[in-house]
Amino acid sequence: MFGYYLRLALKSFGRNPGITALMVIAIALGIAVCVMTLTVYHAMSGNPIWWKNDRLYAVTMDNWDPNHPLIPSRPELPPPEMTYKDTQFLFASNIPERKVVMYSTEGVVSGVGTAPPAQIATRVTTADFFAMFEVPFLYGNGWTAGADRPPQPLIVLSRRENEKLFGGANSVGRTLRWNDHEFRIVGVLNDWFPRPRYYDLNGGNFQTPDDAYIPYAWGSDLQLLNKEENDCWRPEKLDNFRDFEASDCVWQQMWVELPDAASLVRFQSFMDGYWAEQRKAGRFERPKNNRLTNVSHWLRDNQVVDNDNRVLVGLAFAFLALCLINTVGLLLAKFLNGAAVTGIRRALGASRRQIFGQLLIEVGVVSVLGALLGLALAALGLLAVHHMYAAAHLGERGGSQELMHFDVVGVVWALILAVAATLAAGLYPAWRIGRLSPAVYLKSQ
Amino acid sequence: MSLDIRPTLSALLRNRTGAVLVAAQVAIALAVLANAAYLIVQRIEKIHRPTGIDEQNIFVIESAGFTARFHQRASVREDLAYLRGLSGVIAATATNSIPLSDSGDSDSLVTRPDARRSGYINDLEIDEQGLETLGVRLISGRNFRHEEIQPPRTRSDVSRFVPVIIVSRELGEYLFPQQNPLGKQVFDAFNHTATIIGVVDPIMGTFPGSEHPDRVFFVPRMPDEFIVVRYLVHTRPGQRDALMRLAESHLATSNADRVINFVRPLTYFKNLSYLSASSMEIYLLTVTALVIAVTSLGIFALATFNVSTRTKQIGTRRAVGARRRDIVRYFLIENGLITSVGVLAGCALALAAGYWLSVRYALPRLDLYYLVGGVLALWAIGQLAAWQPARRAAAVPPSVATRTV
Repeated sequence: MFGYYLRLALKSFGRNPGITALMVIAIALGIAVCVMTLTVYHAMSGNPIWWKNDRLYAVTMDNWDPNHPLIPSRPELPPPEMTYKDTQFLFASNIPERKVVMYSTEGVVSGVGTAPPAQIATRVTTADFFAMFEVPFLYGNGWTAGADRPPQPLIVLSRRENEKLFGGANSVGRTLRWNDHEFRIVGVLNDWFPRPRYYDLNGGNFQTPDDAYIPYAWGSDLQLLNKEENDCWRPEKLDNFRDFEASDCVWQQMWVELPDAASLVRFQSFMDGYWAEQRKAGRFERPKNNRLTNVSHWLRDNQVVDNDNRVLVGLAFAFLALCLINTVGLLLAKFLNGAAVTGIRRALGASRRQIFGQLLIEVGVVSVLGALLGLALAALGLLAVHHMYAAAHLGERGGSQELMHFDVVGVVWALILAVAATLAAGLYPAWRIGRLSPAVYLKSQ
Repeated sequence: MSLDIRPTLSALLRNRTGAVLVAAQVAIALAVLANAAYLIVQRIEKIHRPTGIDEQNIFVIESAGFTARFHQRASVREDLAYLRGLSGVIAATATNSIPLSDSGDSDSLVTRPDARRSGYINDLEIDEQGLETLGVRLISGRNFRHEEIQPPRTRSDVSRFVPVIIVSRELGEYLFPQQNPLGKQVFDAFNHTATIIGVVDPIMGTFPGSEHPDRVFFVPRMPDEFIVVRYLVHTRPGQRDALMRLAESHLATSNADRVINFVRPLTYFKNLSYLSASSMEIYLLTVTALVIAVTSLGIFALATFNVSTRTKQIGTRRAVGARRRDIVRYFLIENGLITSVGVLAGCALALAAGYWLSVRYALPRLDLYYLVGGVLALWAIGQLAAWQPARRAAAVPPSVATRTV
C-alpha cells in the first residue's frame, strides 16, 4: 500500500510541479534556518563534562567593593575569580576529593632545536587539574601534588604544541626553556577541546585550551599574572607582586570535586566559617555570597549562551511556522484542485481513512524532500558562516567558528522537524479533503 | 469602493480557510519583520558608529621580552626609533592595550577624593606621538610633551599614577558636566591626582562593546615592564600592508631576547570585536528577505488558486456586465481585506514579541515606527503579489460562463 501511495504522490507532483516545488522550497528554507540556529545553539549550550555535574564546583566568594558589584548588570554574582589569599586558605582543606587553583598566563618557549622562540598560552595550575577535568594524555602524565610547592621545573604540553616543537614525537623527558628557565616535559596531552571551555571562560567562551601547563607555585616564584583578568577595587598598597598576593584583587580560579552531598555541605560550611572570620577582620563587606556552582549553573551564570542566540532560535521557529502555514495553504489549494480524482477514488470504494493516509504520505514526501534540501542548505549556510568567522580570526582556532560545524545534531533536528512539518502542514488539508462528499465532484464532471 | 467590499467580504466568509492562512502568514511576517528590522538597525548603528580613530591606516605589533637580559626601555626606544624612521610612517607609539580590541585597562577616576566610586574608566598609555598615531584631534589644551612621558611601572611601583592626562570629550563632559575640564584635577583609585591638560575629539577606547566606549583617558607613560609591549603604527594611506611586512621581518630578528607575537592591522581587532554583531546583522537580513519572499509567494499562490477555481464565476460576472477593471479591483480588495486582518493580528503579535524580547532579554522596546513601516510594507507586498493573478482573472472571457467546465 505504501509503495502505491508513494507512486500516487509522485504522479500528483507531476500534475502541479510548480506548486510542489514551492512547497518543497518553503519547507526546506524553514528547516534550513532552524537547523542552522539549533546547531549553533546546541554547540553553545553543551555541558562538556555533564557526567560530573554533581561533583565539580566552581568556588567563588564575593569580596568586592561594598559600593558596587564587579559586573554592574549582574549584582547577584560574586566575581568569577578569587583572591590569592582566599584560594590559599580554601585549598588547604581536605574535604574535596580533588581541588584546583589555577590561572592562564603567557610564556615564551625556546631552546628546542631550531624552532624560533614563541609565546604560548600557559596554565599555572595545581596537580589535580588533569584528573579533575579528565584531560586525556598522549604521552606521559601530569605531576603529583608534591611538585606544586616548591615548584618543580616540570611542564605538560598540548598535542598541538608537541607537534610544533617535536614533530609529534614522544617528547617526555626532554627539556625546553620557558621564559628562559629550564623545564622538563612530563606529559603531552591528546586532542582535548571542551566546548565551551567551562573551567576558564576568560577571553571568550570557546577558546582553545592552553598549550602548556606548569606547577602552580611558579606563579608566585616568577611573578606571573593572569593574562586576561586581574581585577582590583580596594585602594590598598599594590606596589609589588607580594602586595598583589595579599590584596583583594581577583585573578585566581578555583574548582573543587566533591563526591557527595555531605562533602558539599561540609565544604560550604568550611567556606562560610572562613568568610565569617574574615568579615570580622574587616573584609567581605558585601552580603554573604559564598558559592559552589556546578558546571551547568556556571555556564548559565556566565551567559555562555547569549541572548542573541536565544532570539535567533525564536526567530527561526517563527520563520518555520510561516513556511509551514504557507505550505498548508498550498497543499489545500493543490488537494482541492485534485479533489475530482479523490472523489473518483472515494466513489470506487476508498475509505476516508485510506484517502487521509494517502494524502498524508504525499505531504510526507514533500516534507522529506524539503528536509533533505533544508539539510543541504543548512550545511552550506554553516560552512559560509564558519568561513566568515575563520577569516576574521585569520585562521586561528578558538573563536565562535568552532560552533559552526554541521553535525549529527543538525540531522536529528532536520528529521524531527520534517516529521513535525508533515503533521503540522498535512493533517488539516488531508482531513479536510478526506471529508469532502465525493458526489459533488463527480457531478460536476 | 464601499459597494464592492460587502460582496467581497461575504464571498470571503464563505471560503475562509485560504484567507485565514494568508492572514496568519501576514501576521507572523509582520511580527518578524518589525522586530528583526529594529534589531538590524540597532546592530548597524553599533557597528558603524565612528571610532574617531584612523583605523584603516594603523597596524599593531606585539613584542614580548622573555629573558633576564631583556631591557624593556632600551628595546622600546630602539623599536620606536626604527618604526618612526620608516618612510610612510606618520607616527608610532608604544601602548599597553589595543584600541577597539575589547580588552584593556580601566581605572576608577573621580573629581573629589571622597567621591563615591561607581565604575571604571578605560585608559590607554601612549607617548607624545600617541594622538597623532590614532589620528585623533585635540579640541582644546595641549598634547603630551616628550619629557612628560613617564617611565614604565616596574614590579615594585605598580600603583604609580601620572601627573597629567588627556581626556576624550565624552569623559570630560561626564566628569565635569557643563564645565571646561581643562586644568581640572582628577583622582585615581589610590587618590593620586592628575591634571587634565587636553581634550580630544570623540574617540572610542579599547572597549567598543561597553556601555560608554567613548569615555577614555590617555596616560603619558611607557607600557609596564612586566607585560607585553604593543606598538601602534600610523601609516600613509595604502602603505599599511607593505610596512607591516617590512617591520615584521626587521623586528623578528632585531632582538634575540624577545619575540614578536604578531603584526596585524588594527581592523583585525575591530572586526573581531564586532564579529557577533555583524554576523547577527547578516543573519537577520537574510531571514527578513526570506520572510518577505515566502510571504509574497504564499499570497501569490493563493490568489492564483482563487482565480483558477473561480474562473466560472468571473466569466459570469463579466457576462453580466462587470468590466475588467472591476475584476482586478475585486481581487485587490479581497487581498486588501485579508492583509488588513493579518496586519491587525500581526500588530498584536509584533508588540507581544517586542515586549517579550524587551523583558526577557533586556532588549530595547520595539519602536512603533518599525511597526508602521512593516504594516505599509506588507500591504504593498500583498497588493503586488495579488496583482498578476488579478490581471489573469480580468483576462477571463465572458464566454466561459456558458461552458460547463
